[in-house]
Amino acid sequence: MKNGLKVLRAELNWSQAELADRVGVSRQTINAIETGKYDPSLPLAFALSRLFAKPLESIFFPNGDGV
Amino acid sequence: MSAILGEQAAPSDRQPQVALFPFLKLIGVRPVSKQSSHIFSEDAVIMALGTLWLLSYFGVRFYLESNPDLARGARIGLAFIPTPIFALFLWRFIQGIRSADELERRIQLEGLAVAFPLGVLLLTTLGLVQRATELKFEDWSYNHVWPMFVIFYIFGQAFARKRYQ
Repeated sequence: MKNGLKVLRAELNWSQAELADRVGVSRQTINAIETGKYDPSLPLAFALSRLFAKPLESIFFPNGDGV
Repeated sequence: MSAILGEQAAPSDRQPQVALFPFLKLIGVRPVSKQSSHIFSEDAVIMALGTLWLLSYFGVRFYLESNPDLARGARIGLAFIPTPIFALFLWRFIQGIRSADELERRIQLEGLAVAFPLGVLLLTTLGLVQRATELKFEDWSYNHVWPMFVIFYIFGQAFARKRYQ
């Protein structure tokens, strides 16, 4: 699953650590999500959606294979 | 839960997000860490308990090897001395895992998914080798097998952690 987390974070001029702190996870988790190595759980995805005030589908979008 | 849902909680209200992984620290692998000062104290407790268990294990082992004439009951009683210390270590370690964030828990799970089958492989292979030939107690025994489980755990952790870096 791809995501636009890095762009959204950059728009707000937040560091990975700052974003991680706001959603209660580690910086490594944010990094793994941004690089596409880890797909967040639904609660975390909703937390990010709520934090950026954007719908889930505008933050996370499927790869070409639909996953 | 409020932190997970994105609400702003005071840092002091939050549970530590990261478990301690003492064996990883021994080889210099940095655990996922968010609140280093908070984590350090939790890590220190678990590390201290792990060290205490190791010391008690080797202490008892050395004593038993040095005193072969002790009564059987006393020897068996001594052999169980490290057990409650390890139980305490395990309790704090599990607490650490439960307070870890979701990626860290995933890493733990994947690490164990590597380590557990390797442990089974080691035991089954040793069982077959023992049927094939006589193994000397000094060469291969439970004394030598358990450190391998620690090594498998370290390997599994490193393998899983690298995947998400």
